[in-house]
Amino acid sequence: MTLDSKIPSGPLADKWDRHKFESKLVNPANRRRHTIIVVGTGLAGGSAAATLGELGYNVHSFCIQDSPRRAHSIAAQGGINAAKNYQNDGDSVWRLFYDTVKGGDYRSREANVYRLAQMSVNIIDQCVAQGVPFAREYGGQLDNRSFGGAQVSRTFYARGQTGQQLLLGAYQSLMRQVERKTVTMFANREMLDLVVVNGRARGIICRNLLTGAIERHVADAVCLATGGYGTAYYLSTNAVGSNVTAAWRAHKRGACFANPCFTQIHPTCIPVSGDDQSKLTLMSESLRNDGRVWVPKRTGDTRRPGEIPEDERDYYLERKYPSFGNLVPRDVASRNAKSVCDEGRGVGETGLSVYLDFRDAIDRLGRDVVAARYGNLFDMYRKITDEDPYATPMRMYPAIHYTMGGLWVDYNLMSNLPGLHVLGEANFSDHGANRLGASALMQGLADGYFVIPYTLAHYIASTPLEKVTTDHEAFAEAENNVRTRLDRLLAVKGHETPRELHRRLGKVLWDKVGMSRTDAGLREALAEIPKLREEFWQNVSIPGDATHLNKNLEYAGRVADYLEFAELLALDALHRSESCGGHFREESQTPEGEALRDDERFCYVAAWGFNGVGQAPTLHEEPLVFENVKLTQRSYK
Amino acid sequence: MRIHLRIWRQNGPTDQGRFENHTVESVSPDMSFLEMLDTLNETLIRQGQEPVAFDSDCREGICGTCGFLVDGQPHGPDPCTTVCQLHMRRFKDGDHLTLEPWRAKAFPVLRDLVVDRSAFDRIIQAGGYTSVNTGGAPDGNAVPIAKQTAEAAFDSAQCIGCGACVAACKNASAVLFTSAKVTHMALLPQGQVERHTRVLNMVARMDLEGFGPCSNEGECEAVCPKGISLANIATLNREWWKATLLK
Amino acid sequence: MKVLQALSTSTGSKILVALTGLAMVGFLVGHLAGNLLALFGPDIYNEYSHALISNPLLVPVEIGLVAILVMHMGTAVRMVLRARQARPTRYAVKKWAGGASRKSVASTSMIVTGVLILLFLISHLWTFKYGAWYTDPTTGYRDLYTLLVEVFRSPFNVVFYVICMLLVGMHLRHGISSAFQSLGLMPRSWTARILRAGAALALILGIGFALIPIYVYFVL
Repeated sequence: MTLDSKIPSGPLADKWDRHKFESKLVNPANRRRHTIIVVGTGLAGGSAAATLGELGYNVHSFCIQDSPRRAHSIAAQGGINAAKNYQNDGDSVWRLFYDTVKGGDYRSREANVYRLAQMSVNIIDQCVAQGVPFAREYGGQLDNRSFGGAQVSRTFYARGQTGQQLLLGAYQSLMRQVERKTVTMFANREMLDLVVVNGRARGIICRNLLTGAIERHVADAVCLATGGYGTAYYLSTNAVGSNVTAAWRAHKRGACFANPCFTQIHPTCIPVSGDDQSKLTLMSESLRNDGRVWVPKRTGDTRRPGEIPEDERDYYLERKYPSFGNLVPRDVASRNAKSVCDEGRGVGETGLSVYLDFRDAIDRLGRDVVAARYGNLFDMYRKITDEDPYATPMRMYPAIHYTMGGLWVDYNLMSNLPGLHVLGEANFSDHGANRLGASALMQGLADGYFVIPYTLAHYIASTPLEKVTTDHEAFAEAENNVRTRLDRLLAVKGHETPRELHRRLGKVLWDKVGMSRTDAGLREALAEIPKLREEFWQNVSIPGDATHLNKNLEYAGRVADYLEFAELLALDALHRSESCGGHFREESQTPEGEALRDDERFCYVAAWGFNGVGQAPTLHEEPLVFENVKLTQRSYK
Repeated sequence: MRIHLRIWRQNGPTDQGRFENHTVESVSPDMSFLEMLDTLNETLIRQGQEPVAFDSDCREGICGTCGFLVDGQPHGPDPCTTVCQLHMRRFKDGDHLTLEPWRAKAFPVLRDLVVDRSAFDRIIQAGGYTSVNTGGAPDGNAVPIAKQTAEAAFDSAQCIGCGACVAACKNASAVLFTSAKVTHMALLPQGQVERHTRVLNMVARMDLEGFGPCSNEGECEAVCPKGISLANIATLNREWWKATLLK
Repeated sequence: MKVLQALSTSTGSKILVALTGLAMVGFLVGHLAGNLLALFGPDIYNEYSHALISNPLLVPVEIGLVAILVMHMGTAVRMVLRARQARPTRYAVKKWAGGASRKSVASTSMIVTGVLILLFLISHLWTFKYGAWYTDPTTGYRDLYTLLVEVFRSPFNVVFYVICMLLVGMHLRHGISSAFQSLGLMPRSWTARILRAGAALALILGIGFALIPIYVYFVL
């Protein structure tokens, strides 16, 4: 199988316009005859369902939460990038495109990223029209800040709750369509299988989480916007309900999974405090705009931070990267935090954290200005750690935050399985090997508001879609598949909790497929994961049955999927023996210890085809062609 | 620490329900309240008993999924804190705590501490938006909005829809939730076109869902994890009579 | 019809209770001002009461007041019933939230104080409006002053009235500022002031009315 990315020809800047023109359209009167399933109601899924509803399609929207407003996009703090150049500081679509490709360490598609940068401008306008209360300047204009290693101020924000405000904007648009009956909402539903009829995605099987009923849903096309797989690591900044299940089941039905090893470790999270911790809390990257990162120069320095004099502090990011300083991209900041901690200079009880110090910012700006900028984050930090960041430096450590890998999609956001479209974090396409701050919100909304309405219409208009009902044998087979798996889970009747098994999987992944990876470590992980999976299926305990709200059963199903998926994650990391972006292989580094790419051998997308659990997957390579950007060693010095 | 819990258990919407006593040993002060319940559930699962069902998702206080009463207070005793951000250092060794679900006709109990809050979605459905389709929006800076106005709109817009306001109100009123959205939209120029229909429709839907009338007591503000102010309700009331008179 | 429909919504009901409540507060202010004339002796007091009784507008005003009272009570009772329905199952443990909450004994007992005040009102009208009719021999006016003194010679009546005025004060303690909140006349910058002013007016009315029986009993 060759993967056709369907990138339009012509100059980069004209590709999307030309593609839109060349795409087929669906007559407005015919749209309501086409049912579209959208799974997930985050920024990508919510905006897609709302927009497709506005256009007149018959949309069925699904989410696992009790309301579409709860999708984890809501937790995004920092902001959303857009090439508006309101600040007159030299930004442009081209610069946003360039920064994103470079930030992704040249492992993303030029055409996709350029389109993303183009759409960014429209997103802000759309959100303002929805009533999103972005931060404003005194003159009433939209305010911007510099974010995540960008040298221009292009990030729009709403205090530290930008994701919440954007998601509520999309959610409200979605609810408007529910009221207009163009969208039917199915909350509390978990997609457990994809239904493929004659080679096309034509429906899903889901479980009603409240009643346990297994439901069949048929459609002309399926859009997955089910987020990333960060929770495979157990501890992450993702919501405890975030999971890989929908994407993984689609993968098992034939959709290729691309670049799973590209995971993002966010540098500023509240450090782990104990074994019972259920999740990690992110502290927005914006804190690095004013906070200074440091550790003691001496190893094993146990003095309190206030007692360590200036000349015995190592502001290591400022020292190593004078031009970007504390604002280096996430992967660089994370790796450096790990390396100073590995040297024994980490702080806090566990020695696994670094200081993020606001003393100088408070001296320079005053406490009130600092409180206005970061007050809610400081409060959150205090609540969790019981320490006052105004008085003592925050302690930070990296944590899994975002996953750049995902289901493979072409320029139309369609996977290799016709009819299956994948949006937002669930796909792999725009961030390469590392995502820049404030770009995830941009991608989710670009996919949902501005890309999928065109590309999906083209698919529907250009594809002969035979009449299919839920009585089709493919539905029966898929439903049976789901029921069998649930029965198998309940039949184990072991003695270990899904959480404990998940915790152990997470430890394997964090230690061996985490911030820094080695050939030997990855091989160990590949040996341990199947054993853990075996243990799961022999010893997991799931009291109760499948006929009512059983959160432990839901969770166990997700852990079972992580245990299959984790193997692919480790395998992909093993096969990519270069370092790039968030994927750091110790074997491949520059003399200064920076990630060293191998463009000769790895300038491609690794899209894996499923061959069975425990079976080696098939690797499909989609070469990445750079016509507009010169591949260079990323340097933030 | 050792914590004694009296937890509401209810098998399903039609079950009567009852309290059940549990003791959680070796609770660490750094645990969040929900992590303490996770620990209890792990013990129950290992013993082959069904764990306590409770909702949670982001566990950082922004998704609005979690929420129940800890000893008679929605989200527990700390101000501006969801129960997922409530930490055990707040409690003492040997404390006895009662955990109860939100109770309101419009929020039927689904299981244990989990309630159905879809009524909130339907209130938003009735008008909690601006009716603009995607595409064709004017430039974001086309209409200047005063910083103070944007900030005030944000204060209202940050409601997380957890339902604690309803749980705390002696009348099980949803008016703080509704008023937060009405105020958010009424403050912004984008919300002006539908200003009148919005408030009338949202209030009507709120009544239809079976929420009670406002008590003006402000228990809702006091328990709100986002500190949404009672001033929003005053705004809703004003918007409502203006809309009624001008209709 | 449309108005009725609007006023039957939860927000409309609140506004109706607020408007009628404030109207009655207005009446109470006038009533207190008139009653305090008793402190200045029988002549002024009887002069004043005669002016009221003989006014041809008295009956329409009384009818209006009764209508307001009925609307106030009817709507309030309906709201209480609605609130009961909204929470069919009570909490096993429920604490007050404290902090920003305005909850008070007064706010939780509005329906109770309301009903008690109604009972008081009936007895009050029975005692005075429809009570013994003394005539002032010089002017020929009704001598309410003598009745007043007679009633409050009894310590039982004094205690009863003082307690009832306490209830009125309590009802208004929540009621006045609450009415401003219901009408939406409570901008954020004025909230604290309105809450204080409402409580102060409630206190003034409660004490003001209670003063008369005490004055009569102890001073006269």
